[in-house]
Amino acid sequence: MAVDMRLPTARKLISLPGSLSNAEGKHLVVPGDVITSDTGFMRGHGTYMDDEKLTASVAGEVERVNKLICVKPLKTRFNGEVGDVVVGRITEVQQKRWKVETNSRLDSVLLLSSVNLPGGELRRRSAEDELSMRDYLQEGDLISAEVQSVFSDGALSLHTRSLKYGKLGQGVLVQVSPSLVKRQKTHFHNLPCGASIILGNNGFLWLYPTPGHQDEEAGGYYTSLEPVALSDREVISRLRNCLLALAAHKVLLYDTSVLYCYESSLSHQIKDILKPETMDEIVMETRQRLLDQEG
Amino acid sequence: VPADRKRVRGPEESQCPLLFLPPAAQTAEPREPRAGRGNGEVRPLFARCGLVSQAKGSSYLEAGNTKILCSVYGPREPERRDEAGVRSGRLLCDLRLAPFSCGKRGAWIQGSGERDLSLALSESLHPAVCLHRYPRAQIEVNVMVLENDGSVLAHAVTCASMALADAGIEMYDVVLGSALRQDGGASLVDPDLAEERGNWLAGYEENRGGVTLSLLPNLNQVSGLHADGELRADTLSAAVRTCMESCHKLYPVVQQAILRAVKRKAPPPEK
Amino acid sequence: MATVQVSEAEKVYIMHGVRDDLRVDGRGCEDYRHMEVETDVVSNTDGSAKVSLGHTDVLVGIKAEIGKPKPAVPNEGYVEFFVDCSANATPEFEGRGGEELGVELSNTLYKVFNNRHSLDLRSLCICPGEHCWVLYIDVLLLQCDGNLFDAMSVAIKAALFNTRIPKVQVSEDEEGGKEIELSDDPYDCMRLDVTNVPCIVTLSKIGHRHVVDATLQEKACSVASLLISITHKGLVTCVRKLGVGSLDPDSIFEMTEVRNTGTEHPVQTHTRTHTHTHTYIYISEHYSYFFI
Repeated sequence: MAVDMRLPTARKLISLPGSLSNAEGKHLVVPGDVITSDTGFMRGHGTYMDDEKLTASVAGEVERVNKLICVKPLKTRFNGEVGDVVVGRITEVQQKRWKVETNSRLDSVLLLSSVNLPGGELRRRSAEDELSMRDYLQEGDLISAEVQSVFSDGALSLHTRSLKYGKLGQGVLVQVSPSLVKRQKTHFHNLPCGASIILGNNGFLWLYPTPGHQDEEAGGYYTSLEPVALSDREVISRLRNCLLALAAHKVLLYDTSVLYCYESSLSHQIKDILKPETMDEIVMETRQRLLDQEG
Repeated sequence: VPADRKRVRGPEESQCPLLFLPPAAQTAEPREPRAGRGNGEVRPLFARCGLVSQAKGSSYLEAGNTKILCSVYGPREPERRDEAGVRSGRLLCDLRLAPFSCGKRGAWIQGSGERDLSLALSESLHPAVCLHRYPRAQIEVNVMVLENDGSVLAHAVTCASMALADAGIEMYDVVLGSALRQDGGASLVDPDLAEERGNWLAGYEENRGGVTLSLLPNLNQVSGLHADGELRADTLSAAVRTCMESCHKLYPVVQQAILRAVKRKAPPPEK
Repeated sequence: MATVQVSEAEKVYIMHGVRDDLRVDGRGCEDYRHMEVETDVVSNTDGSAKVSLGHTDVLVGIKAEIGKPKPAVPNEGYVEFFVDCSANATPEFEGRGGEELGVELSNTLYKVFNNRHSLDLRSLCICPGEHCWVLYIDVLLLQCDGNLFDAMSVAIKAALFNTRIPKVQVSEDEEGGKEIELSDDPYDCMRLDVTNVPCIVTLSKIGHRHVVDATLQEKACSVASLLISITHKGLVTCVRKLGVGSLDPDSIFEMTEVRNTGTEHPVQTHTRTHTHTHTYIYISEHYSYFFI
């Protein structure tokens, strides 16, 4: 039994030199700030033209690609693009489609025709399939999927037509801001510390025990309810707390940063990682290692 | 709180005349301790099912001077569709104390105390009702306390479970309620109103409080537990044990009352 | 209450974790998340405190006003609780959505304080039968991340400790009329004795074990929980079964009884919580002096 109580002011004394210096080099704006009055630029997302002046409409960082100026909001819902890997939760079962919460503006759609059903890819979708949709995925279930297309209103259409996507079994979901997930070639990692992670572009991160063998027949809709070994649990819980610590200090999340953080947390107990001072220490160490590796 | 404009109300603030008795008269009030029953004995219980002909099921319960009427409506289509669960039904419980039921006149509008009792009632009944058998439906349990002479919640639970049984709602078990008042060393089972209040005004000793427990007797599961006051941990567990025992004592009475109602409904035997 | 959706597989994972005494965030079954207590946070109140427990944030403000004692107890003041579930905490509380939960929480608080020792109400009496102090304890939920009851009780205890009630003098004029005079000196005030103010510990039953300080996800896996409010002496002032499930009598005894089995017991847990609360309330109080 442990009750850890403290005063909030104790934490504020520790400053974070790393994050401050990072912010200084960036051009940050708030809505209404004039970015430039030069008419030679093109208006991008997050800006509007006012009296020939390019003005920001969101708070965030100014990005310039040749003549195009955008403002990228740092804290936002997920703006999906085709090909993004997402983790989402089923909110509703409808006619021939599921509604999926993916941290975007509107609920995403997963059509019955864009999932792999047990029995092979070329199976026809029958009326029975339509009636038994809830047997595959029901409200509350988690899935991993890929963005297939974006509708005109901004809603996403998802698909799971690959064996790596599908229903998620036992594991832990961690939610962070989508802007903290680094875009990479692959978002599925089997970490050497003994667990696997799906870094969804939408900020939903899924930690799960590394599967021993892939059951191909089930088409990704089979979930094992066997107890997970205690050692795997420890790794997953540690990774979960590391992810939250990194997110709290706004460190980009990708396999290396997660792994470094995991390694520097090993000297602490799992439950202590989220204490502010431990969090500071671990994240500092991770940052240092990432800097060393880069340069 | 919206004002109750429909009825002519009394003066803005009125007090019960008993409060203005001289202090000497208040304490000198001769009262037979426990009206001749032992500390562990419950008051004689009268229970019948099926009094309200309009309701799907109903019951009436009398324990000493505590009189409770309960009616059950449903399962039926809920008025507001969005509130019903897809996979299991909803159990709505509403407990009201009639304005004349207590020493002090109450309001017709449900007060926060009644809302609290309704919630406690609902939490105590919930585990017993097979709500998954009634998806999208709602079941309404209305309890009216006609006279409050202590142990209201406990008897309301018993009464409501009888009404649910009478209405033919699927249940895992009946729910029995029992209350206990701890006054120093004495544990009084099924306290009446005077005992429930205790000599709250006079005493500052520790270890006094009230416990109400609801039990599913056959499954041996506690579906509700409410205690307040000040109790030592060992007294509390002893109180819980005593309450469970007195629930078991109630069981045959409740069982008989339900069976009686079932027999009456059954068609006459063919010759 | 703010609810989260949890899939069946996640539930299984959480339940097995509780069985192995390793919860999703690395805590054991009897570990609290780390808690922050800050007192004297709102200047317009007579006493205030803010507690954050994980992402649960509770702000308590106490105001003392002069009122008339209740006729049944003429020589005591009284306490009024009000819990507001702000729509800031979760969109579910918008409009009247938070009302039900607010009433439930405040009714529980009345039960928790429904005894003679938690607060010495006689000290709130100014003039028997005529004037007394009424303490309005307003609880504001700023963020919900499970375990509202425990966080709320710690915040109330801290705020009561922080409360300063101005001293008053009752003077009688020739006609026998009484006049109340408030002391001019802001430091001439009365403090409340909070040693007996109880703390709430909520135990949620998950599988065959129970955990303290359940997160929203864990709450979704638990059908029933037992709320116990307890003073530093180990006196239970309120017990309440919460949720739609039922509990085994044995697990109730296990949750409430003190037994000499060598393992740490919930009641000891509660008392421990208490001591911690005390220490930190004291520290936070002294700490705030530095800034005055």
